[in-house]
Amino acid sequence: MGRIINIIKDFSLVGKISLIALVIILIIAIFAPYLSKYPHDKPVASPLKSPTKEHILGTDDLGIDLWAQIIHGARISLIVGLGTALIAGVGGSTIGILAGYFGGFIDKFLMRLADVMIVLPELPTMIVLGVFFGSSIYNIIIVLSLFSWIKPARIVRSKTLSIKEENFIKIAQIYGAKFHYITIKHIMPYIFPLILISFIKLINRAIIAEASLSFLGLGDPTSKSWGLILNYAINFSGIYFTPYWKWWVLSPLIAITITVVSIAIIGREFEKIFKLKI
Amino acid sequence: MGNTLLKVEGLKVNYFSENGKIEAIKEVSFNVKKGETIGIIGESGSGKTSIAMAITGLLENNAEVKGKIIYEGVNLLDLKEEEINNYRWNKIAIVFQNRLDVLNPVLTIKEQITEVIIRHNNLCKDEVYKKVRNLFESIGLSKDWLNRYPHELSGGMRQKVLIAMALACEPDLLIVDEPTSSLDADSRSEIINLLKGIQNSNRKFSMIVVSHDLTLIKELTFKVLVLYSGHILEEGITREVIKNPLHPYTRGLLNSSPELNPYQDLWGIPISLKEEKGKGCPFYQRCNQARIECSEQVPKLKNLSLERKVACNRGGILTILEAKGICKKFTYKNRVIKACDNCNIDIKSGEIVALVGQSGSGKTTLANIISGFSKADNGEVVFDGNKIENFKEIRKLNGLQIIFQDPFSSINPNFTIEEAIREPLDILKIETKDLRKEKVKKILTDVQLPVEQSFVKKKCMELSGGQRQRVAIARGLIMEPKILIADEICSMLDPSTKANMLRLLKELQNKKGFSMLYITHDLNIARKISDRVFVMYNGNLVESGNAYEIFNKPKCNYTKKLIQKGFMKAL
Repeated sequence: MGRIINIIKDFSLVGKISLIALVIILIIAIFAPYLSKYPHDKPVASPLKSPTKEHILGTDDLGIDLWAQIIHGARISLIVGLGTALIAGVGGSTIGILAGYFGGFIDKFLMRLADVMIVLPELPTMIVLGVFFGSSIYNIIIVLSLFSWIKPARIVRSKTLSIKEENFIKIAQIYGAKFHYITIKHIMPYIFPLILISFIKLINRAIIAEASLSFLGLGDPTSKSWGLILNYAINFSGIYFTPYWKWWVLSPLIAITITVVSIAIIGREFEKIFKLKI
Repeated sequence: MGNTLLKVEGLKVNYFSENGKIEAIKEVSFNVKKGETIGIIGESGSGKTSIAMAITGLLENNAEVKGKIIYEGVNLLDLKEEEINNYRWNKIAIVFQNRLDVLNPVLTIKEQITEVIIRHNNLCKDEVYKKVRNLFESIGLSKDWLNRYPHELSGGMRQKVLIAMALACEPDLLIVDEPTSSLDADSRSEIINLLKGIQNSNRKFSMIVVSHDLTLIKELTFKVLVLYSGHILEEGITREVIKNPLHPYTRGLLNSSPELNPYQDLWGIPISLKEEKGKGCPFYQRCNQARIECSEQVPKLKNLSLERKVACNRGGILTILEAKGICKKFTYKNRVIKACDNCNIDIKSGEIVALVGQSGSGKTTLANIISGFSKADNGEVVFDGNKIENFKEIRKLNGLQIIFQDPFSSINPNFTIEEAIREPLDILKIETKDLRKEKVKKILTDVQLPVEQSFVKKKCMELSGGQRQRVAIARGLIMEPKILIADEICSMLDPSTKANMLRLLKELQNKKGFSMLYITHDLNIARKISDRVFVMYNGNLVESGNAYEIFNKPKCNYTKKLIQKGFMKAL
């Protein structure tokens, strides 16, 4: 942890601002029920109200408060992002280390599996799987994870392959060190930056993917994410002929953009500090 | 018995002082044949002079002598004081250690010599003078010096006078105690030649030379006894003993002599390697190959070969590692490269062996096979009596350790210094965590790195190359190896760091007593540190032997060429 704090101290101004933005979004997501007087799933006012003091972002066509929807949507987006990144990052890294360290059959098997996943067209498969499994938020996380582990796995594998040839690892092996010891003591410190950056990028990827799926109407209709709000807004016929788009379309769009951009900038900062490019 | 002049059997000398009994000589036996010269060597305090004094019966009253000293069938120890006087000076004479107080300062040289002659012979005055003059001639001093006082003479002259005095009564046995210890090189060789000359020209008298000067012993004696705290540890023909010592103590003595090691750094025998003294082998505390039984059992002087006796529980210097008939081939695009072709290497305990040869000669392949990294096609490596397999020897304390050329890749730069050094213990789960930390501290002091927490917690990437190599050495030494294989460990360091590193290694080697196989292409360094050298060329060991001989009198053509090239730059 201390290491990460030290790294954060080295962030540029933009990086720090992004971090603050992300932290604010995180706090908003966590304390969502306390930040809005109105529920996010019930009509509370007349539909299509413009922003007022009562309703900061106005209401949608059903009269549901938009601010409440946005802050609850942050929860969904972040849960999907973090959940996917965690599963895909940990799983992918483990697969990468195993493949790189042991080589041979294990390596071949895991890497062919990765090849298969790469060949599959992502969005169509996701749509099919989404339809097939039904669109609960957990299914979305699993489906997204299934497509996201390949990149970290490949990066980690190639790094593991190169470190494995280092003399100090060979010496440790001579002294009788096993996979467990070598991974934790020798390999982890080297691939930690890679995993961290992959993790950040995976969050972004998942948030965007979830938004896209929802936007296409394949998201979970009961959990209103930013993509789904956007989907509803766009589907409101003739929205661009009315002034409603200014808050109904823009607010989820800006929320997504801020989150994604700040995460991307943080990822870029880490890359710069670790002198890595993924 | 025939030609045995003096026979010493079970000689014991004890001194009594206020602090109790001191056993100076414990059970020493040896023979001196007629006309033979034997040497007694040993560090000061080993009892050399006590033996000389016991034979001449000149020990003070506080000494007790036991055993037998048989001179031509008569036990001198049974004789009364007056009877001994008949033997002393007439039959057995002694040349004392050259000190100013040996000669009487108020008598002239002439008076002192005549005094001896008159005391022991019934000669008239003229005959005495004639004899004195003859004596003076034979020792090569002009007779002008006869009327001088001792303090007017130089050290070398005084030594000659002492020899003349000892020879005055034509003894059959001459005991010479440290004849050259305080002389310059010139007078020293003069004395050596004098003693040699007199012994050859006169009727052959026997001589016992007591000295710690190995050149003197080498020049004068035929047989040699190696004495340590009143025990004879090795006995043999001088030339053989010097060429191939079989007791660690003898080797230590030889290695401390600059005449025999003109190139190497000099390191004395370590004062003590172990804490407790033990009741067994007298050399136990300082011996690099001692085992527990050595602390309990006093070794007996045993014949290892004809004319060669060694007192060691382990049978003399052990061969710690032996590689027999190592062959290794690499096939590369249908071309077969013989990296090692029937290589035999032996490394004795406590010695530094250098393996030299140009790059590509197969040195590293051989080292890898010896340490167990790669498998040989043929042949076997035996370590301390066991065949080396599967890194078994690397994975235990008191085994074999290897240090690599590149300190940057052999240590994880992300590790702290402590972690890096402790790693083998951590992996092998040796000792408890606190003990490991203690050990790290001890080793850090040994390799001359700071032990402060601020340093120990530093990451290895912050260290310089030399410091990292020290950490690598420390990591090897924490396993307390019996043999250390160092593969070009200095080749990536700058000259000053290299010098420090080599001195450090040698010091550690001396202090801890491990053996080392030092692989290098740098002949200057090999000459500086090694006791023995193996020369490798195209996968063959073309020559091996004592470092001094290899570098001065190489026999193989390749070695000659290598040495010529290697030292050309220096000249």
